[in-house]
Amino acid sequence: MVAASVTGLAARRLTSGYTAAMVLLGVGVSLLPLMVSNYILTFVLQALMACALAGSWNLISGFTGYVSFGHAAFFGLGAYAAGIAIAKAAVPAPVAIASAAIVAGCAGLCLGYPALRLRGPYFAVGMLGVAEALRVGITVAEPVTGGGRGLVMPPQDVLLPAYFSMLALVVLIVAITRAVATRPVGLRLLAIREDEVAAEVTGIQTTRLKLVAFATSATLAGVAGGIYAWHMSYIDPTTVFAGSLTVRAIAMTMLGGQGTVFGPVIGSVVLSVIGEVTWARFPFLHNAVSGALIVVIVLFIPRGVTGVLQDRGVLPRSRTL
Amino acid sequence: MIGALPVAIGVAAVACGGEAATPAAPASGGAAAPKGAPIKVGASVSTTGSNGKTGLYQVEAYKLWIDQVNARGGLLGRPVEMIILDDESDPTIGTKLYEKLINEDKVDLVMGPYSSSVTQAVSTVTEKYKFPMLAAGASASDIWKRNYKYIFGVYSVAESYFYSVIDIAKAAGMQTVAIVNEDTVFPKATAAGTAEYVRKQGLRIVFQEQYPAKATDLSSLITKVKAAKPDVLVGGSYQPDSILLTRQAKELDLNVKLLAFSVGAAIPEFGTGLGKDADFVMGPSMWEPVLKTKGNVEFVETYTKKWNREPDYHSATGFAGGQILEAAVAKAKSLDREKIREALSSLDIETVLPGRYKVDDTGTQTAHIAVVIQWQGKEKPVIAPDSMANGKPKLPTPEWKARP
Repeated sequence: MVAASVTGLAARRLTSGYTAAMVLLGVGVSLLPLMVSNYILTFVLQALMACALAGSWNLISGFTGYVSFGHAAFFGLGAYAAGIAIAKAAVPAPVAIASAAIVAGCAGLCLGYPALRLRGPYFAVGMLGVAEALRVGITVAEPVTGGGRGLVMPPQDVLLPAYFSMLALVVLIVAITRAVATRPVGLRLLAIREDEVAAEVTGIQTTRLKLVAFATSATLAGVAGGIYAWHMSYIDPTTVFAGSLTVRAIAMTMLGGQGTVFGPVIGSVVLSVIGEVTWARFPFLHNAVSGALIVVIVLFIPRGVTGVLQDRGVLPRSRTL
Repeated sequence: MIGALPVAIGVAAVACGGEAATPAAPASGGAAAPKGAPIKVGASVSTTGSNGKTGLYQVEAYKLWIDQVNARGGLLGRPVEMIILDDESDPTIGTKLYEKLINEDKVDLVMGPYSSSVTQAVSTVTEKYKFPMLAAGASASDIWKRNYKYIFGVYSVAESYFYSVIDIAKAAGMQTVAIVNEDTVFPKATAAGTAEYVRKQGLRIVFQEQYPAKATDLSSLITKVKAAKPDVLVGGSYQPDSILLTRQAKELDLNVKLLAFSVGAAIPEFGTGLGKDADFVMGPSMWEPVLKTKGNVEFVETYTKKWNREPDYHSATGFAGGQILEAAVAKAKSLDREKIREALSSLDIETVLPGRYKVDDTGTQTAHIAVVIQWQGKEKPVIAPDSMANGKPKLPTPEWKARP
């Protein structure tokens, strides 16, 4: 195996070089506001949002293999929690975003408790139902949420603060993922993915672990929703509970590598670039092109870019990647 | 994000020396060819996604307007070009695209997107940059309740869509009304406004319920309406759901004396899709080809020639948006956006739309007149208001079983 060639010192150098590249990417993104127009900032902000969703999805689904098709539920809940706090109580943004985190986190706990007893496709479809039920619930609760007419907040120009908040969220998610991946807890989560019964037999408290991972994932997605609402100053149920949000998160994570630290980041960068090219070339077909791309990923590189590079021996098999 | 940078469906500013027949072209046949750097007008309209079909009418109208503006000498003597992007019916993408139009493409002016929810979201962006915008594809009154200074309505607010239909029902002695609507921005506003008006007119609401967007089966809803036995059924709807409701009303033999839908009923495809079953259905329309408004005959003619299909009212509102912007620039005599904003808030002009263009302090449209159409055979004559009507309402609607 070629992988054997990357060992010892070389492996460590490669690993730190790779990590340094990611840090540089972060620094570059944080310096962007000095260099580019508000359009590019809005574009990167939305890419960061997708990255946050992918990263938070990865925490539960990438590590434990519990594939959730309803991740948008927590994004939407966070958006509405923050939106209502801003629109009805006129609270400052940090408080609104904190309430988004709390609401989404609590929802994650309450929903995860029963839902994580389901496995495989049952869990995936169950979560899909949850997202749809929440969308309808928000639509019906009109006096508080504005229902289908959407929720209107007082307008404010918060592009820059929203941009840095979203960037900070992505950094936080990467940090959490790295902390998880490099500690025994990461291995335990991966063990659940490989064989849950075996994991249980070896003494891993699978239920508790899954629930914590799920709630963390939900909280982070909720924060992303909160920042989104704050920036847009107008939200409506169809947009913030859209299934396409979840699908993009899944596609990005799978492309980059499930259960890896930087996989979702790589996936979102690559898919953003590809999205740009396909949209410019095939304005009416680009969704089909992205769909085809997902099929190709699943068929040919199920372990994602990171996995392929590790198999080829380009990257060492380090858990910090 | 999947779907990043947009592609500009650029409309070339062709400085053709006034050969095309346009309403305002001087009779002498030859406006001065526009000179100088082109003026850029930007817009993002949904041409894909759930509202793509309707949005396309608006895009076609924008492009037709650009052709005609250039043919009659451009704006302020300069040629005009338009950058039209596609927001995929997604408000999030819409805001990004207006940031792009304003910051990257450096457009001089903007026009509105399609649908109330996208307009609601992007109006925050245009407000931030102080770009006056005509909402040529939106009518939910919430848009004008945020104290924004740079957004102007082109046609009647959604709440008032069914006023004339209710008047007709009342005049015919009907008493009970059922209201159903899709649970999104525009249909909800329509239903809320209708309910209020029904009560004010002394009629009774016997049933009111919403249904989810993209519903493919509304039979349980129809069954409930049937149990309530209303004289009138009003649907706050878009195109697909209005057709679905009519079809299932027939299947389940729901008989009302008056059936009316927003958006869907006024679109030509309603008649082609339903055939005879479309008969007797009424709908509010913001514009009709038969109306004798200023320049309407030429508009229908040039539009049909350019796009090989008849315009629908979304084309007309888009085209009227262009006409209003043109008048505002002419009045402001410059591209100064503050002056254009002032012009837009004080203008009082005729467009291809019935009524006039005139807004109140909030930017809400107040002088446009919505008409009512009714499907009769393969035609949809205007039946209200009387001053514009070219047909008479046929009431009551016969029972499904009694129809040939």
